[in-house]
Amino acid sequence: MVIHTSPLRKVLFLVLVLGIVLFSIFPFIQMLSISLKYPGDWGNPSLIPKNLNFEAYKELLNIGQATKNVPESVLNLLEETPDLTAAQREAILSKYRSTGDVFPFLKYFMNSFLLSFSAAFVTLIFAILGAYSFSRLRYPGRSLIQRGVLFVYMFGGILLLIPLYKVFVGFGWVSVPPGAFFSLLIIYIVQTLPVSLYMLGNYFRTIPFSIEEAAMIEGASRFGTIWRIIIPLSFAAIATVFIYCFMIAWNEYLFASVFLKNYRDLYTLPMGLKALFTSKNAIWDRIMAASVLTATPVIILFMSIQKNLAGGLAEGGVKE
Amino acid sequence: MKALNLLHPGDLSQKDREAVLGWALVIPSVAIILSLILYPIIYNVYLSFFDVQPMAGNTYVGLENHRNVVIDPSFWNAVFTTIVYVLFTTLGTTLMGLLVALVMNRTFPFRGVVRSLVLFPYVAPVISVVFAWQFIFDPVNGIFMDLTYEKLGLFSSRFNLIGSPSTAVWVAIVFSIWKNFPFSYLMILSRLQAIDQNLYEAADIDGASGWQKFRFITLPEVYFVMGAIVLLRVIWNFNKFEEVFLLTENVRVLSVYTYYKAFVGTMELGQGASLAVIQFILLLTFILFYVKRVLKW
Repeated sequence: MVIHTSPLRKVLFLVLVLGIVLFSIFPFIQMLSISLKYPGDWGNPSLIPKNLNFEAYKELLNIGQATKNVPESVLNLLEETPDLTAAQREAILSKYRSTGDVFPFLKYFMNSFLLSFSAAFVTLIFAILGAYSFSRLRYPGRSLIQRGVLFVYMFGGILLLIPLYKVFVGFGWVSVPPGAFFSLLIIYIVQTLPVSLYMLGNYFRTIPFSIEEAAMIEGASRFGTIWRIIIPLSFAAIATVFIYCFMIAWNEYLFASVFLKNYRDLYTLPMGLKALFTSKNAIWDRIMAASVLTATPVIILFMSIQKNLAGGLAEGGVKE
Repeated sequence: MKALNLLHPGDLSQKDREAVLGWALVIPSVAIILSLILYPIIYNVYLSFFDVQPMAGNTYVGLENHRNVVIDPSFWNAVFTTIVYVLFTTLGTTLMGLLVALVMNRTFPFRGVVRSLVLFPYVAPVISVVFAWQFIFDPVNGIFMDLTYEKLGLFSSRFNLIGSPSTAVWVAIVFSIWKNFPFSYLMILSRLQAIDQNLYEAADIDGASGWQKFRFITLPEVYFVMGAIVLLRVIWNFNKFEEVFLLTENVRVLSVYTYYKAFVGTMELGQGASLAVIQFILLLTFILFYVKRVLKW
């Protein structure tokens, strides 16, 4: 379809492309820009900071914070008295360390990572076995299970929130920190399992059965074929599903806000950022820097699987 | 005898062994879904008939929760807000997706890069983008007020667009379109790429205009994929919580309304449960209507 396109139409088309790109990434540019600006520069609509300010990132990543608020004279004193033990030094410095307004970004990051990684990992084990079963084996009840998995698309989080809360409170898990954390892990597994089953099932069906058959004639067991043939052959799909589950858990706020409400140390990133924003320390550069740092791992992960993910999405294997 | 057979799989026929293995592999997943999705939904219906205390027993109150919910005018407000939100986000996301898919289906320089940049809004965590949006509409520093008030003079003063519920809902709608159009775009694009190019060549020979080709070839081909997108978007946007609540707490769509009822302040868990049931029934009614009338299944 390259016939007679006038130059004007070509230009208009490129403007349209540019408009779409700008619409998509403008908020990202905005947050990167503010995270690097000094407060006096915030009101300036220009996206390029006058001077670069890395303070917010340093603070969040805990770089060079040890001696930040310590007065010059104390630092000099410490230098002039080399016979102090490390413990004494630490005691003096800790007096000046501000404790109230520090945003423990790395801790929240680790909480989120631990939760998302374990949930995605456990889900994947169940999903590989389950998806293999209903995409490969024939037995009564198979199609019911397949359709049931799709049915779950209709339920929003809010419908499950109150009963699950009541159930886990009944177990006595919500009132202790590890219990609350574990409840949340189970909930994330449940939330990612149906979509994983669906996506992997679709993929397994594309692997020719003859490959498996050949292995079984050679004497491999069913588990042997799953382990030696199905998993290596669908490695890309499995990685995609893993990252997809990871992202669902990484983004989740609703359940986390209810189960972890009273345990500040266990906050996930979404909860931590929301709390930071509503606290007295709501300073734009810190919030934007935290936003950038939260988005970056997900965007990198996504870039690495983009091709597969786009395919998976197009096949309808998604849940929000 | 059957139980004995299970213990000695060697005695079973090939077919039975396959069935046993099939169930054995799928049973953990089925058990998880039944006990943590299906059971809670039934339990939720049960709870909606009780006065539920967070840490204590429940008292049966019959239909009182449902009655209390329905006579509250703020509930009807939430229903109305939800309908506006779902209607405009679904329309916007689908049409924007169609437009972008049509554009990306052509060749132009840097198409690969553009295609990945366009997916950014969809993959970025909600929490990481809401603050950028809030900043854009910030009354003091935001670029939106700078553009419309300082440069264009559209308003008589700076104001907080996200501050009041009546304007915040529109910000939430634009935000949702921005966040989710890549999904529709991907689905529509993969359908567009499957259209037989011979159809367009034949139309060219017949002297069809660009619009005619779109209207009589492209649109019929993508009709069903768009129908499916609309259905999915309605389901998801109707239940949407994070994208609304994290952007602005002023927009009380049903999920947010239920959340406040059940977990903020007096924690009316029973009323929250009945709200969730009502919300689900509303959605189910719509789906049945839509599937029959629009998708004609």
